[in-house]
Amino acid sequence: MPKAARILLALVVLAAAVLLPRVAGPFWLGLVTQMYVFGLLALSVDLLLGHAGLFSLCHASFFAVSAYTTAILQVRHAVPTALAAPAGILAGTILGLVFGLAVRTRGVYFILITIAFGYVVWGVAHRWSSFTGGDNGVTNVPFPALGTLRVESPTEYYYLVLAVLVLCTIGYRVLVASPFGLTLRGIKASETRMRSLGYHSDLHLYVAFVVSAALASLAGVLYVYYNRFVNPVAASFPISVEVALMAIVGGTGTIVGPFIGSGIILGLRNWVSSFFELYASVMGLVFIVVVLWAPDGVVGLVVRLWVRAVKAGTR
Amino acid sequence: MSEPLLSVREIHTYYGDSYVLQGVSLDLHEGRIVAILGRNGMGKTTLIRSVAGLTPPREGDVIFKGRSLRGQPPYAIAQQGMAIVPQGRRIFRSLSVRENLLLPTSRLARPSGAAAADGQRKVWDLDEVLKEFPQLAERIDHPGAALSGGEQQMLAVGRALMANPDLILMDEPSEGLAPRLVQQIEEIMKNVREHGHAILLVEQNFALAMAVADFIYVVASGRFVFHGTPQELWGAAEILDHHLGVSGGGP
Repeated sequence: MPKAARILLALVVLAAAVLLPRVAGPFWLGLVTQMYVFGLLALSVDLLLGHAGLFSLCHASFFAVSAYTTAILQVRHAVPTALAAPAGILAGTILGLVFGLAVRTRGVYFILITIAFGYVVWGVAHRWSSFTGGDNGVTNVPFPALGTLRVESPTEYYYLVLAVLVLCTIGYRVLVASPFGLTLRGIKASETRMRSLGYHSDLHLYVAFVVSAALASLAGVLYVYYNRFVNPVAASFPISVEVALMAIVGGTGTIVGPFIGSGIILGLRNWVSSFFELYASVMGLVFIVVVLWAPDGVVGLVVRLWVRAVKAGTR
Repeated sequence: MSEPLLSVREIHTYYGDSYVLQGVSLDLHEGRIVAILGRNGMGKTTLIRSVAGLTPPREGDVIFKGRSLRGQPPYAIAQQGMAIVPQGRRIFRSLSVRENLLLPTSRLARPSGAAAADGQRKVWDLDEVLKEFPQLAERIDHPGAALSGGEQQMLAVGRALMANPDLILMDEPSEGLAPRLVQQIEEIMKNVREHGHAILLVEQNFALAMAVADFIYVVASGRFVFHGTPQELWGAAEILDHHLGVSGGGP
């Protein structure tokens, strides 16, 4: 697609997002806010999966650690948002600095070690109840406020999330188009070749991991102010799997893909679980169908159909 | 003669459990082409991998620009001025031709700044490489996977030049190429030597090696069984017959 068309499309989507609260009721607005938050988390996973070729299954950890940090500071210690939110992102990012050691491994070992990391964090959230509140988690998280500027309704919060999301996607776009982004794609294509070109691949993957953890932490902060509470579910393995699924279903290595995937999966979950208990099995089926028939996700499928249509048109 | 650019000293390299290089030594000076000839499975690719640090030798040493490469990871070795044209045209298939060519020049690969020419040597940049390989210029924004075999090989060579290396390691660049393209590879190698780069060439293509090399080593079962100029190799009938399957008799 030409650049002008891309920008135009982005503006149309943005306009629709801005106008949404005028037409959508509270249920839909909540669902779309969730879609943004989990889309951002899926985008952070996809920096590793779609660009660097690393399949992380511990991103719920960064998400949850930042959500817990922000919630505990804000609820128990009455720390204002201006400090609690950055502290949450910082805590998740510091965890990323530690978990980033996983980049010393590759392939299935990387997946296994990230799963193990994820369980450590979930275990702490679940069992250290004097600090984390155990299964009940931390409740009564207020809306965020910055001095006298206060978010007072879900609609206002929706706009806050949208604004953060726009800034993040622009920053993400700049990052993946930079020489660093090219380096990651080169490593995904062939790490050996990159090393023989002079790239310290472990170092670049480590930096990507930490950046990805920071973005996941940001999603965690947005999540806790949306949900108004956080419990160990946020740190659980299924969350890590689901956000990876979102990236794959939507289309890895793209920016819109993770958001589309997030919309599809959250939408399906809401719809299916209203009449069918085995929601998780349905998700499993969706995953199988995508991997077999649309391995590049929805975005890849649309591009393929588009190319076919253009070819048919020029014939 | 001055100090060699690359000096391989009695290296023994294992590939898994198999003992591939059984004590080989060679010297390569600036602006020279040294060719390693030998049949398949004799350890040619392993020699390239040993020099580049991809399969480090278990014993012996590789000295590059007067410094031992022992214990250094491949990226650090590459940063000192070495580039590989790997066997089988291993380009980045999912990246565009332009991205393939720009990867070696990134500051992320050369944090200390390009250790490029000392003034007298030609500096290869995108324009120069595209002038050398006009077929790449036409396809600059195509993905590597869309190129023909010959174009992919040119891209692999162009990518190595973009790093402005002192030494280029070439692993069977003529493999599977049409004679016309082998001719082009030959001219490029001579041209590159002219500009002061050194090349360590590993080949099965006898004619190409004889045409470009200043010095030749013949490898058999992990040892060098001959070293000398192409002229001298023509005289070594037994080597030609026994190890290369070529009957002697002068050029």
